[in-house]
Amino acid sequence: MSVIEIKNVKKSFEGNVVLSDISFNVEKGEVVCLIGASGSGKSTLLRCINLLEDIDEGQITVLGQDIGKLHNINEYRKKVGMVFQQFNLFNNMNVLDNCMLAQTRVLKKSKEEARKEAIRQLEKVGLSDFINAYPATLSGGQKQRVAIARALCMDPEILLFDEPTSALDPEMVGEVLNVIRELAEEDMTMIIVTHEMKFAADVSDKVIFMDDGIILEEGTPFEIFNHPKNERTRQFLARIIS
Amino acid sequence: MSLENCFRILAKYYPSFLLGIRTTLIVSLSGTLIGLVIGLLVGGFRAVRLDKTAPKETRYLKNAIDISLKIYIEFFRGTPMMVQAVFIYYMVYTNIVHWDKMIAAVVVISINTGAYMSEIIRSGIQSVDPGQNEAARSLGMSSMQTMMDVILPQAIRNAFPAICNEFIVNIKDSSVLMIISITELMFQSNSVAGTTYRFTETYFVTAMIYLLMTSMSSFLFHHIELRMNHTKTSFPQSDTNFYSMKIAKEKTQ
Ligand SMILES: Nc1ncnc2c1ncn2[C@@H]1O[C@H](COP(=O)(O)OP(=O)(O)OP(=O)(O)O)[C@@H](O)[C@H]1O
Ligand SMILES: [Mg+2]
Repeated sequence: MSVIEIKNVKKSFEGNVVLSDISFNVEKGEVVCLIGASGSGKSTLLRCINLLEDIDEGQITVLGQDIGKLHNINEYRKKVGMVFQQFNLFNNMNVLDNCMLAQTRVLKKSKEEARKEAIRQLEKVGLSDFINAYPATLSGGQKQRVAIARALCMDPEILLFDEPTSALDPEMVGEVLNVIRELAEEDMTMIIVTHEMKFAADVSDKVIFMDDGIILEEGTPFEIFNHPKNERTRQFLARIIS
Repeated sequence: MSLENCFRILAKYYPSFLLGIRTTLIVSLSGTLIGLVIGLLVGGFRAVRLDKTAPKETRYLKNAIDISLKIYIEFFRGTPMMVQAVFIYYMVYTNIVHWDKMIAAVVVISINTGAYMSEIIRSGIQSVDPGQNEAARSLGMSSMQTMMDVILPQAIRNAFPAICNEFIVNIKDSSVLMIISITELMFQSNSVAGTTYRFTETYFVTAMIYLLMTSMSSFLFHHIELRMNHTKTSFPQSDTNFYSMKIAKEKTQ
C-alpha cells in the first residue's frame, strides 16, 4: 500500500479550476518532486494533502486513511509536516520555543523532553548555536533550516515542501537543499515543490510535471529531464534551465 | 480670565482637583484594563474559525455567540457613553441592587471600552500574517492553541499603540461619568466652579490637568513602545540588529 494515494482530485476556487484531475501515488521512503510553471496548482495540491484546503472531488488517502473523512485533523497533521516558502516561523518566539511549542502542546511532551528533541533537530540542521535567537534576526537560509527542524521535531512520517528555497538569496539555497538531501538519504517520505531542477534530478525517485491543473508527465528524473515525452515539458525545461 | 486667578483657584481647591484626578485615573485605568480583557475574549473568540470537521451544534453555537457579540459591539460603539452610564446605572439600581456609583462607573467604562477593544484586537489579529496560523495548524495545533500561543501575542504587539490610545481616550471620556455623580475630575471641577463662580478660570485649570494627564501618558507609552522594539522580540524585520551583526562577524572570522 502506498503512503499517499491521490485519486482523481479536483479543486477550484470560485469557478476557477486549479486542479482538474490529479492522480498519483507516493511510496514509503520515496522522494517526489513536483515541478511546473507558476499557477499550475502545485501549492494547492500540497495544501490539499495537508488539509489547509479541501478538495471538491476525488480522494486522498494518507497512511491508509481517507483524509476527507478524518475525525481529528490535528492527529493527522502531526504526522505530516509542512515547510513553507515564506518559512512562517513564529515571530513571537525564539528558535528553541519555535521547535518546542507543538511538541508540548500537540505531542504533550514534557518541557525537558521537548527541549532535548528540539536541540537534537537543531544540531542536525546546524543551528544549535542559535537557540535563543529570534526569527527576525536570522538569515533566510537559517530561518528555513529552523522551519525544517521544527517540522522534524514532530517526528512526522511525511514531509511536504512548498518551494523551500524560492524566497532565499542564491548563496543560501545550498545550505537548505543539503538538509533536505540528508533527509532523502534517511528515507524520509517527501513531496517537494521546487524550481531547482538539478536538485530535483539528484534527490528524487520520481518527478511529476504539472501543467494547468493536470499531471502532464511523470517518471524517473532521467526520463523527465533527459527524455521528456511531452512537448510542453520540453518547453518548460528549456525555459527553466536557460 | 487671568492666570493669577487660575493659580489662586488651584491653590485653594487643589484637594478637590487631586481627588478628581485620582478618581479619573482609577476609572480610566481599570476601565482600560478590564476592557482589554473583554476585548481579548470577544475579539479572540470572533476571530476563531471553526474547522470543517466541527460538529453542527458547535457551529450553530459559535454563530449565535458571534451575532450576540456583534450586537454588543455595535450597541456600545453606536451610543454615547453618557447615555450608557445613566441607563445602566439606573437600570441596575432600580431593578437589581442599590449599587455603588463608583462600581457602576467602572462597569460602564469597562463594557464601553471592551466594545472598542474587541475591534482593536480583531484587527490586530487580522494584521498577523496568515502564514503564522497555517504553520501552527500544520504542526497539529488546534485553532484555540494557535490563537493563544501564536496569534494573540503578535496581535497584542501589533495593536499596542491602539490599546494605549484607548487609555488616553478614557481619561478624557470618563468626564461624561459625572452624570452619575462620581468624584472624577469633571464632576469636581463643576463643584469648584459652582463655589467660586469663576467658570472660565476653573475650567481652564481643568483642561490643563486633562492635557497634562494625556500628554504624560502618551509620552510614557511612546517610550514603552520604543523599549519593546529594542528587545529581542522585535517584530519588524530588521537586519542590522545585534544578532545578525554578530552572525555576520562570526562568518567573516
Ligand atoms: N485561496 C485561493 N483563492 C483563489 N484562488 C487561488 C487560491 N489559491 C490559489 N489560487 C489560484 O490557483 C492557481 C494555482 O495556484 P498555486 O499556488 O497552486 O500555483 P503554483 O503552481 O503553486 O504556482 P507558484 O509556482 O507560483 O507557486 C492560481 O491561479 C491561483 O491564483
Ligand atoms: Mg506555489
